[in-house]
Amino acid sequence: MENLIRVQDMCKIYNPGENEVRALDHVNLEINRGEFVAIIGHSGSGKSTLMNMLGCLDVPTSGTYYLNGKDVSTMKDNQLSEIRNQEIGFIFQGFNLIANLNAMENVELPLIYRGIGKGERHRLAKEALTKVGLSKRMEHKPSEMSGGQQQRVAIARAIAAEPPVILADEPTGNLDSASTKEIMEILKSLHEAGRSVILITHDNDIADQAKRVVRILDGKIVEDYYNENKKF
Amino acid sequence: MGNMTEYVKMAFKNIIANKGRSFLTMLGIIIGIASVIMVMSVGDGTADAMNSEVADLGTGQIDVYCSEDASNEGEWITPEDLTAIREQLEGVDGVTPNDGSSGSAVTGKGEFAISLNGGTEDMQKSMNYNMKRGSYFTSADVEEGNRVCVITDTDAKRLFGSDDVVGMDIELNVNGIMGSYRIVGVAQQKENGGFVSYTYEGMPVSLSVPYTSFEHFGWESDSFYSATVFANDKVSGEEVAKDIIHLLETRHRCAGEEYYQIQSFQDMVAELNSMLAIVTTFISCVAAISLIVGGIGVMNIMLVSVTERTREIGIRKSLGAKTSSILMQFLAEAAILTIVGGMIGILLGLLGAVGACSLMSASMGSVIHPGIKASTILGATLFSCGIGVFFGIYPARKAAKLSPIEALRRN
Repeated sequence: MENLIRVQDMCKIYNPGENEVRALDHVNLEINRGEFVAIIGHSGSGKSTLMNMLGCLDVPTSGTYYLNGKDVSTMKDNQLSEIRNQEIGFIFQGFNLIANLNAMENVELPLIYRGIGKGERHRLAKEALTKVGLSKRMEHKPSEMSGGQQQRVAIARAIAAEPPVILADEPTGNLDSASTKEIMEILKSLHEAGRSVILITHDNDIADQAKRVVRILDGKIVEDYYNENKKF
Repeated sequence: MGNMTEYVKMAFKNIIANKGRSFLTMLGIIIGIASVIMVMSVGDGTADAMNSEVADLGTGQIDVYCSEDASNEGEWITPEDLTAIREQLEGVDGVTPNDGSSGSAVTGKGEFAISLNGGTEDMQKSMNYNMKRGSYFTSADVEEGNRVCVITDTDAKRLFGSDDVVGMDIELNVNGIMGSYRIVGVAQQKENGGFVSYTYEGMPVSLSVPYTSFEHFGWESDSFYSATVFANDKVSGEEVAKDIIHLLETRHRCAGEEYYQIQSFQDMVAELNSMLAIVTTFISCVAAISLIVGGIGVMNIMLVSVTERTREIGIRKSLGAKTSSILMQFLAEAAILTIVGGMIGILLGLLGAVGACSLMSASMGSVIHPGIKASTILGATLFSCGIGVFFGIYPARKAAKLSPIEALRRN
């Protein structure tokens, strides 16, 4: 079966020249459909850069990146927007909800950009919010919700359009332990339901909950192993 | 672009979320549009009122003058010229010399200065007088040089205390020569308008008389400095004016000497109108500057908004918004601000025009209706849309071009 994600020899160099920063240094990575992968590293290790690349927010300096069979590494701005919209569901550390939209409207956003009509949009958004247990908070603005609830809205937004990849960047970084547990449970259940989940974190405890761990250091992948103690 | 309604909805949502700021932004546009609409409506209304008053005074009047050269050469306009104009030219309803004299009269009410307007029976046309009593003097009176006169009712009251004066005589002293004039008609004095005045305080009593009656005071009425021709609308005023000049030049054998000059009433009205139009345009331009300032205000706020909402733009882009989606959203916001501002401005401008016109009507004594034209409103609307798009493009492009990573990083 074709890999969902295939990164070959990927480099990202900032400030090319004397003061160049090699954020990614010849990275090779393959992730299959249905995997639950944690990418772990310290700050400055290059994990955020890798996440930007995997999330199609940026293009690599060299190397190739196939996402769901498409070569993303050479795409232009608008094509990348389309890929992000259709292939990826983002979950950010800071939730990144739009403040003046309520939960429902926030979840509908990617569906709007996908061009889905109003009725279908409502149905999908409702379904996603119900999945994360927020069916009673659909009209609430982000400011009226707790951090954990906001992150659940963000998860609903990420899964509403059923993209093949869910990319979570430190999703529990701003949350207390109870909410962290809640969010991790949702991510695990998404994985169990067959979604591919990529989790970026600096926290070993979080990484341990994933099925596979990829450790990155100084722009290179230094470890790539499966958590044997986990049953998936 | 299929999502245009969605972008417009988003834009609306954002404008409503920032009510106070949106209103302040619109204020510039509101004031600009309102003042343009108001100035133009009041200007048009004033022109309309002026034209209708002036039309009442006598359209179709063409004044013929002798130039200085003609006076020096003694080539005055003669009664025969006038007859020729009346009989030979097409489109001429009447013609009268403009002859005049002054004198005084003593009645039971005291001594009065008298001004005598000498002309033919066609002079009646020049003021569009309504006869209240009796009738105007006739062509027979002119031919025979009868000393008869027409007086206005107000003047009659000044002289005699009543306007029931038909058949009475006025004893005139003109340059020491006495002569009595019989009143044959009383005309209704027209009321002064805001633009045209018929009377003033201390004005001499004025009598309309046959020009031939001046012979009684010892001068031949056989040459005139000026005459007035009354043209009907069968032939254009310009055509008639040309014919008059041609006829006079032929009769006086002075083609090309420019002895005779024409001033038609239409010319004067047109001149007045063009002056008014210049003033209106000038004030509108000043008001339009405030529109441009308003537009810059919109741009300014949009730029602030882009900076403030950088993160939102980043979120939208990460969720799949294309450059064009962001561009449209921000452009729609600028357009809505200016269009809504424009609508409010139009409304206020119209209200202002009605208010200003009623104030002017009250103070000037003539009724001015605001000249509200669809073209003015349409123009103002299009202009405000144009401003919205023009001044919205720069901030919208700035927003749309943001890289999602950059935008997400900033807070």
